[in-house]
Amino acid sequence: MQSSQQAAKVTLVGLVVLAAVASAETKKELRFTLGPKATVAIVNQYGGISVKPSATGNMVVVTATLASDKVDVQSSQGPNRVDLASHLLAGATDVTGRVDYEVTVPVDTSVILQSATGPLHAEKLHGDIELEGVAAPVDVRDIWDSHVHIKTMNGPVTVTNVRDGHVEIDSVSGNITLNSVSGPEVRVSSTSGQIIYDGDFGYPGEYRLTSHSGNIEATFPQTTVAEIRAQSYQGKVQDDAHLQPKKHPNFSVAEGKSFVGTTLNTINQAAASVWLRTFSGRIHLKKRQ
Amino acid sequence: MTCAEFENALPDFLDGGGGTDLRSHAASCDACSELVSSLQAIMTGAKTLQGAEEPSPRVWNSIESALRREGLIHEPRPARSWHLPSFSRRWGAWAWAVPVLGALLLAGLWLNNPRPAGDRVAAVPAQAVPVKATAPVKAVVAVSPDDQQMMQEVAVRAPMMTAIYQTNLARVNQYIQDAQAVVDANPTDDEAQRSLMEAYEQKSLLNEIALDRSLP
Repeated sequence: MQSSQQAAKVTLVGLVVLAAVASAETKKELRFTLGPKATVAIVNQYGGISVKPSATGNMVVVTATLASDKVDVQSSQGPNRVDLASHLLAGATDVTGRVDYEVTVPVDTSVILQSATGPLHAEKLHGDIELEGVAAPVDVRDIWDSHVHIKTMNGPVTVTNVRDGHVEIDSVSGNITLNSVSGPEVRVSSTSGQIIYDGDFGYPGEYRLTSHSGNIEATFPQTTVAEIRAQSYQGKVQDDAHLQPKKHPNFSVAEGKSFVGTTLNTINQAAASVWLRTFSGRIHLKKRQ
Repeated sequence: MTCAEFENALPDFLDGGGGTDLRSHAASCDACSELVSSLQAIMTGAKTLQGAEEPSPRVWNSIESALRREGLIHEPRPARSWHLPSFSRRWGAWAWAVPVLGALLLAGLWLNNPRPAGDRVAAVPAQAVPVKATAPVKAVVAVSPDDQQMMQEVAVRAPMMTAIYQTNLARVNQYIQDAQAVVDANPTDDEAQRSLMEAYEQKSLLNEIALDRSLP
């Protein structure tokens, strides 16, 4: 009985705090007119940034939700570039200093987003994308013909449906998931995060997924055209995709540790080059059903 | 004279040239004065590296590919900037010098600090690489001065994150240690060299995030 009363009190206090924070919230809308292939850069300490394509030509619209008066948004506009930054005032905390940005930009805009906590999100663009976070979850989807460059310390990264992309992802310990990502260069590097690739290694590009202790899992369909090298120094390589073993001049095969193979239909076709390497993680190759 | 004009004339100024207007601007502007001091420190540091053993072309190739991946040198593309705004503003046209020096220092440290014999793994044929069993992460603590400086910075700016940074630092140090062991065992293995570069890049990433002034 007593504990339920205490729980009720805690809940009530929590609600009051939430209400106080919510009441202190303010929205700020900023509009900028830019030329084609412009750049929008946002530096945010605490809070998310979401960028989507605009329906209105060359207009950039930023809606910033400020958690309190302990934080302000500063902006500057240069030649075909807009810079926005959250400015923490004295006494700001991760709660009161939070700003959430909702941004719409022309589809060819390049975006540079930075936030410690995130989340960071960008979708349906074909300008270059550069996202950096500490613990920020990163979600990028429906991007084509652009550079995608993501860095986090332990924030998880999800990249979905990227075509013709130069994709570079670095995370020290965040898990990295790629769904339908293809292009001339796809490079993923992690220390302890897990790397999951689910796609067709399309485009005869170079795919390089490496980790120290994180597991690597690659799932691809029967139609994939690729030469795949996989190596784990201390872990295991498990080929459930039943690749055709292949001799390689600079790479010898060790049972369960390193492996070179091709998919069935690489003859007379330009194949993607896939390199999977980990020190102590496990590599698992799977065929999509 | 504006700061922008001063930055444009910086190469002449650093070479000892420039007129009185440049000198008076450097003397009166704190930001430009700080920039000049930083660049002079970089130039001095770079000179000390000249006496070091000449790295193999593979090292330069690795550095070049790392810089290319960082977007600092790349094939012609539409105008864009990979630099974070705060970084670009601070260093202006000399922004390239900082990562280049960082890469040079890494290469220098790598070449001039061979591991103690006890840490080496016996040479084995390429690909059959028995790497030492990875020690538990907690066994590898941040002990280098650079690591300590980074952790002190984190403790001041983001005390709540100290433990997370500490764990990640230990992990990347372990990564470097394991990658170095493979290079020691296979000094001619290009992939092993590349793997070591990737391990250093992970540490560079951690440093970059920890010391970035624009993030808490």
